[in-house]
Amino acid sequence: MRFGAWELSVERAEGASPARVAVGALVAVALALLLASALFWTPEAGPWAAYRIAFGYAFANPSGLGATVHRAAYLLLCTLAFLVPLRGGLWNIGLPGQVYAGALAAFGVAFWAGAREAAAPGPWLLLMPLAAALAGSAVGALVGLLRAKLDLNEILVTMMLNSVLFWLVADFIKEGGALMSATAEGESFTLPQDFRPPLLLGLPPTAFLALAASVASDFVFSRTAAGYRVRTYGLNPQAARYAGIDPLRVSVGVFVAGGAFAGLAGYHYFTAVPGLYKIPTNYGYYGDLSFYGMICALIARGSAVGAVPMALMFAGLSVGGRFAQGALRLPFGVDYAILGLLMTTFVLSHLVDRYGFRWRRISPPRAARPQPEEAR
Amino acid sequence: MTREQHSAQATARPPVLRARGITKAFPGVLALDGVDLEVEEAEVHAVLGQNGAGKTTLMNVLFGLVQPDAGEVYLRGRRVRFRSPHDALAHGIGMVHQTRKLVAAHTVLENLVLGHPRARGLLDLHAARRELRSLCQRYGVHVDLDARVWQLPEGEKQWVEILKALYAGARILILDEPTSALTPPEVQVLLRALRNLVEEHGVTVLLVTHKLPVIRAVARTVTVLRAGRAVARLPVSEASDQELVQLMVGQEVALPGLPTDTPRGGVLLEVEDLCAYNDKGQLSLRGVSFSAHEGEIVGVAGVTGNGQDELAQVLAGLRPAASGRVRLAGRDITHLRPLDRWRLGMGYVPADRSEVATVAAFSLVDNVGLNYHFDPEICRRGLLDRGRLERLTRRILATFRVKAPHPYVQARHLSGGNLQKLVVGRVLSRQPRVVVAHLPTQGLDVEAATFVRGRLLEAKSRGAAVVLISEDLDEVFAVSDRVGALYEGRFVALVPRHQTDPETVGAWMAGLAGRDR
Amino acid sequence: MSELLVRSLEASTVFLLAALGELVNQRSGVLNVGVEGLMLFGGTAAFVVAKSSASYALGLGAGVAVGALLGGVHGVFSIRLRGDQVISGMGLWVLSFGLTTYLGSPHTGPLGLPPFPTFAGLSPFVHAGVLLVVAVWFVLSRTSLGLAIRSAGENPAAAAASGVNVPAVRYLCVVFGGTLAGLAGAAYTLSYNPVWNYNFLMGWGFVSLALVFFSMWNPWILLGGSVLFGAMWQLSLNPEYVLPGVLSRYVWRTVPFLVTVVTLTVISTPWFRTRWGLAKPQALGVPYSD
Repeated sequence: MRFGAWELSVERAEGASPARVAVGALVAVALALLLASALFWTPEAGPWAAYRIAFGYAFANPSGLGATVHRAAYLLLCTLAFLVPLRGGLWNIGLPGQVYAGALAAFGVAFWAGAREAAAPGPWLLLMPLAAALAGSAVGALVGLLRAKLDLNEILVTMMLNSVLFWLVADFIKEGGALMSATAEGESFTLPQDFRPPLLLGLPPTAFLALAASVASDFVFSRTAAGYRVRTYGLNPQAARYAGIDPLRVSVGVFVAGGAFAGLAGYHYFTAVPGLYKIPTNYGYYGDLSFYGMICALIARGSAVGAVPMALMFAGLSVGGRFAQGALRLPFGVDYAILGLLMTTFVLSHLVDRYGFRWRRISPPRAARPQPEEAR
Repeated sequence: MTREQHSAQATARPPVLRARGITKAFPGVLALDGVDLEVEEAEVHAVLGQNGAGKTTLMNVLFGLVQPDAGEVYLRGRRVRFRSPHDALAHGIGMVHQTRKLVAAHTVLENLVLGHPRARGLLDLHAARRELRSLCQRYGVHVDLDARVWQLPEGEKQWVEILKALYAGARILILDEPTSALTPPEVQVLLRALRNLVEEHGVTVLLVTHKLPVIRAVARTVTVLRAGRAVARLPVSEASDQELVQLMVGQEVALPGLPTDTPRGGVLLEVEDLCAYNDKGQLSLRGVSFSAHEGEIVGVAGVTGNGQDELAQVLAGLRPAASGRVRLAGRDITHLRPLDRWRLGMGYVPADRSEVATVAAFSLVDNVGLNYHFDPEICRRGLLDRGRLERLTRRILATFRVKAPHPYVQARHLSGGNLQKLVVGRVLSRQPRVVVAHLPTQGLDVEAATFVRGRLLEAKSRGAAVVLISEDLDEVFAVSDRVGALYEGRFVALVPRHQTDPETVGAWMAGLAGRDR
Repeated sequence: MSELLVRSLEASTVFLLAALGELVNQRSGVLNVGVEGLMLFGGTAAFVVAKSSASYALGLGAGVAVGALLGGVHGVFSIRLRGDQVISGMGLWVLSFGLTTYLGSPHTGPLGLPPFPTFAGLSPFVHAGVLLVVAVWFVLSRTSLGLAIRSAGENPAAAAASGVNVPAVRYLCVVFGGTLAGLAGAAYTLSYNPVWNYNFLMGWGFVSLALVFFSMWNPWILLGGSVLFGAMWQLSLNPEYVLPGVLSRYVWRTVPFLVTVVTLTVISTPWFRTRWGLAKPQALGVPYSD
């Protein structure tokens, strides 16, 4: 639209400012919650009762708060598992699979150390998380390798591996599988006391690790050459090649790191969180929860520290949502419904900061100042 | 002005195509500002102008690809409004774009049929083949209808496009820079055919170009565009070259005299029988040998697609050599990785500045990092020294006259010329001993192009060996000490500039002069 | 044994329908990695509506409509707004996964209708699938609409310069793709396995996506691939037909997914690429703007 020498237009505004990204993230979350409130509408309770109950349980109830924090650490590790490859332009939707791999490896070590019969203290406490991280990394390395060497679509490969690992877990904990509990069908044996990591302030060490790793991740991406190379590859693989950046090292590197975080997430949730200490029958539910990590990373736009409050909030939502579901007799899957809506509003917010209104003076074409998108 | 009136009076017939007051603004830029154009039946009408003068936008308006903000178009005296190319085609206007608009994976026949007004519902390829055969016969054109387009040489692809417009029933043909990708002999064939179309078949041709010889050869009338305005319309026979250039540029352009003679030193780059495959797995570099000396610019002319990409990429280490050797200052670097080459003093300016040489979403500082992330000055124990990188960027922006508000602006906001200055500045700031520059001035305006060439000459006088791969013969002759041409993956010849002339090299580019000479 | 054959063909049909829609999508240049989501949503809608109305026809209509609608949403995002097609596709998948879990869970369990009618001993979806392959092949290779679709996927700028309305062609194809994905979901929940469960597909959509790559964008190869995968899928559920007693049934369940990865790997090797060429549409996944 033109007004004399001025014009108003809707254009793609590439590259949003950090403030705009933060506002976009908040708007996306708020909008998702607003949309979800329509789903939870019950005639007796009204739209906000569900949130009151959910957040009340998640953040004000002692047992609820504990569950929230444990889950937040899990989600944060999953966030990192998705975020690191994303900075390299790669989609790691293999989070559940890598979580299962981590859990299997940790329980494998415990089994090998004889945890099913007798409990003997040993180096297992360190070996278990290590094995979990390695197992996740191994799955990730395969994906990164196939991507870099043969240009295989990483979304397809990670998704296929999710199903493979899902059934492998079933094989180990069902119908007489090696890790099956002696007393209950369809779940793993419960870890004896000596195989459970010590708690600090009521939290397993993995929770602190997740926080530290978030800070480290932001530092690596902004200050180190390695982080710079990953970012370059993520934004423009051709330019990265020109700059002498090895695609193989980047894609294997980010998937190994991402896989390690997801493996640790599996370790954290199944072996380090009080109250569980086993792979339960409904392990698939926990695996799918890891997709919240994908949302956290996407909405935080690659900032791991920015994802911390996000992870805490989504953990509260999913823990509290499950509680509210029981209290208000809502259908199963409140937490997943919110997950789906969050993804939608994220996609929308992604658009909002790519388009914007521009108001400016029309200048003749030969103006002596830089003109955007001209003469490529 | 008087001349315009004069020519208007001389016009006996009414114009077949007339545009009045065409105005078009793009965000931030007024591309066309009240342009008038009058084209007579069965003439070649040239539209002359520099890059960015609005030529292509005007043609896109006439073809319905762009909707003007103001102004009218009249066809044979009747007002027309084209909402899409479809409308233009239905009115007998066809266009051949500067960039090829053909589906490379499809056959020639499929391309010709695509979008044809009568092609509705079922595809009748047999009937189309018959019609096209007779059409080819009438215009004396030979094109293999069953070949895949990607297999054809550029000249033939151009013919497919012209044929396509004629097949769709075009009587007015818009040709946007038709000679830019052709070799000199292909240009001659094209111009002859255009004359034939106009004289024998009564077709009207609207020819967009910035090349005076082309206009001289075929056009009867010329309209000159400058900065979005039509500044003159005059018969070609009445205008001198001098006058046309002045109209086009708007002022006297004095190109600075370029120093080219520096005493030549020892050999820095040696290439021996180099072969390489392209992305399709074909051997497209077939045994290239040459050397570049200290303080020398080797100009490699050639039409795109004759192995230039592969040569540049193999030298930079981005493509493996199938066989042969590359030595830098005596050291074999054939199998070294790109970074090791950079460290040894190789500098590479790739052809594609916005997709390969820079990251659009990165700040200028981060873009400078592309050539420095491995440099011990910037990267210590794995950590980037951002302060140093910023100071370095500021220095490059100042020395290479990059117009940018600040070093943290995103590269996507820079114009092509400024972006290229940044790339060249970044590469040369490393003081490379060997510079491979591929199409370093493509698409730049005269000022930026001259500046970039000047910097290459400066690098040479510093003692660097420069390999300049370019399609622009004038450029190659302006700066090179030795000139060669690539044809089908081989060097046709490589001789001192003084011993040859552009016509000869033009023939080499077309593969006319044998290697045996 | 013939029971196994019938079930295999029905499984093949679910793969085939979803993949055929995605194939047309991709031939026009639009990638939709969220096929699984469209199938989940279409399947759930079909199941819920059929269950509540006790009508297969209404259920089928609901599934197809939901699929078409979501395909259209993907179209708006990737054609009109020129967004990143992977983000949009993943968004649709997670949205569908999340919402169907919530909306479908009250209906968990069997459909509770008389079995889906059969035609010549097979579910009519099987016949529909084969007919659709013929139709898609014919349209793509023998009509000018097909030429327009293929050109839009190879070089949209060239198509537009020839007067093809590229956005319109692409919308048509994404909505068609969504419709078939919805149909595939309905074929699953109404006929193949009429029991609703949380995340009942568990990767069928992604396998279908892989099948499109295997097919080299050719509907006939896609038909063959779908039949093979359907058979393999059914065998992985009933390994006793092949190797009774060897390995646990859970390990067998991993086979189709592993085979998918291995096949993807094989067709991506340079050896294969140079011999078979890559029929991949050049402009696949690239937003088009004129």
